[in-house]
Amino acid sequence: MPLFPSAEWVTDYKNILNASAQYKQAGAGWTHGPIALVTRADPGIGIPEDVGIWLDLHQGNCRDARLVNRGEAEKAPFCITGEYARWKQVMRKQLDPIQGMMQKKLELKGQMTIIVKYVAAAKALVEAATQVDTKFMDEK
Amino acid sequence: MSYGADLSFSWYQPTRIVFGAGVVRDLALECKRLGVERAVVVTDKVLRERTDVVSRVQAALGARCAGIYDGVIPDTSVQTIDQGAAFAKQKGCDGLISVGGGSSIDTAKGIAIVLTMGGGIRDHQGSQSLGRKQTTHIAVPTTAGTGSEVSQYAVVKDHEAHEKMHYADDHIVPDTAVLDPEVTLGMPRGLTAATGADALTHAIEAYQSINRNPMSDALAIGAIRMIAQYLAKACEDGSDLVARGQMLVAANLAGMAFNASGVGLVHAMAHIVGARYGVHHGTANAICLPHVMRFNADELAARLRDIGDALGLDVRGLSDEAAAQAASDAVLKLNARIGLPAHLREVGVPENELDACAEQSLSDGAIVYNGKFAADKDLVLGVYRAAY
Repeated sequence: MPLFPSAEWVTDYKNILNASAQYKQAGAGWTHGPIALVTRADPGIGIPEDVGIWLDLHQGNCRDARLVNRGEAEKAPFCITGEYARWKQVMRKQLDPIQGMMQKKLELKGQMTIIVKYVAAAKALVEAATQVDTKFMDEK
Repeated sequence: MSYGADLSFSWYQPTRIVFGAGVVRDLALECKRLGVERAVVVTDKVLRERTDVVSRVQAALGARCAGIYDGVIPDTSVQTIDQGAAFAKQKGCDGLISVGGGSSIDTAKGIAIVLTMGGGIRDHQGSQSLGRKQTTHIAVPTTAGTGSEVSQYAVVKDHEAHEKMHYADDHIVPDTAVLDPEVTLGMPRGLTAATGADALTHAIEAYQSINRNPMSDALAIGAIRMIAQYLAKACEDGSDLVARGQMLVAANLAGMAFNASGVGLVHAMAHIVGARYGVHHGTANAICLPHVMRFNADELAARLRDIGDALGLDVRGLSDEAAAQAASDAVLKLNARIGLPAHLREVGVPENELDACAEQSLSDGAIVYNGKFAADKDLVLGVYRAAY
C-alpha cells in the first residue's frame, strides 16, 4: 500500500485517473497546463521538506505525474499548497478543494478564474485520489 | 439566523478602523504608530486636481509624505501598479496611503505586493500564496461602497492581454482604514448612489453566501439596516455629514462581511457587464441584485426574510416566500428612489450578447459562493434576461 505522498502513490494515482470516465468527461476542456499539488513540510510525520505532485493534465488525461520539489512545483501555472492534514481532509472528502481555496485552507498560485470553471473536474480528481489504496504517513 | 452542526469557519480581520469627521488630520500619527517614515500617497488625478482631499492628506502627513502617485485609473491595471511601484521604490517608500475609491485601494495593494515580493504584479496572481506581510498600507476611502479598505481582495486588469486578474490574500488587507466622512462630502449624487448600492450588495450577498457564518451575518445585517436608513439621505443631501458617516461605516461592515464569506452571483454577473461594456460596478450590482434575490428565493427564503426585516419591512405575518419577494421589491424601490437604472438595457448591454455574458460569468470566482447553486450557464442566462 503506497504512502501518501510518495512516487508509488503518484504512479497509482495517475493510472486510476486515466481510467476514470468521470475525469475524462469533466476535464475534457482543460488545456491550461500542469497543476502541482504541494504538501508542506511536516518533519514530525516524516515529510522533511515541501513535496509536490506534478500532474500534467490535458483534455481529460494525465500525461505525466511525478513527485517534485517545491521549486519545480512552482513552475506549474497552477500550484496549490496545503498542510498535510488539509490534503488528507481532501482525500477523505471532508474538504472540497475549490471550497478549500475559497476558505483559505489551501493556497493557490495561478488564476482562480480558470480553476473555478472546473468544479466537476476537481471533484473527479478527488474521487480518483480516494480510490488509491493509500497509507497515510501519520498512520504508519 | 440559524446554523447546523456542520458550521465551521475561521475569522481574521486585522484592520484598525479610525472613524470621525476630520480624522484624516491624524494620518501622521497613524504612520508613526505603524513605523512609516516615507509614505507614498496613491490616488487618481481627478481627486488630486478637482478636490482638496489629496492636499489635505499631504498636509496631514507633513514630512512623512515622500511623494504622490496619481496614476490610478478606473479598474486598475498591471501597468498602473508596476509604474506606481517603480515610483514608490524611487521615493524610498516604506508605506502606502491609498486615497480614493476601490481602484486606488486595489492599486496600493498591488504596489505593496510588488514592493515586498519583487518582480511585477503579474508574477503574484493567486489566493493566499504570498506567505508574509506586505508593505504597510493605510486606506482612506473617499467613497462608501467597495469595502476594499478591509478586504483581502484586489482585482487588476491587464489591458494588453484583455484579462482580469484576481488576488486574494490576508497579507494585503490594509493595516488601517481611516474613515473620514468629510472626505466623502464632495461625492456626486450618482456616485453616492452607485457605491452605496455596491455596499448593499456586499451585505446582502454575504448574508446569502455558502461561507456565511455568525460573524459575517451580524456584520451584514448591521450594514443592511444602516444602508436602508442612510443611503437615500446621503443621496438626497450630500452635505449630511451623519448620513455620509453612517454610509462609510456601513460599507466598512459590509466589506468585513464579504471579506469573510464572499459575495455571489450578483457580483459574477456585474463583473462581466462591467468588463465588457464599462457599466459602473455599483450600478451593475444594483440592477442585478433584486433578480438574483428572486433567483435565490426558493432555497434561501428565510435568509431573505431577515434581509427584508433589516431593510425596514414589516415581515410579520408573511410567509418566508412572501417576505423574500417583498425584500427584492424593496431593493428595486430603493434603487429607483436613489436614481439608479433598473435594467441592463438602459446601460448599454446588448441583448444579443447576454449568452456570452452568461458563459463568461462561470469563470468568475464569486459565483462559487452563491448560496444557491448558480454555476450553470442557462441558470445565469435566465437571471440576465430577467435583469435586461
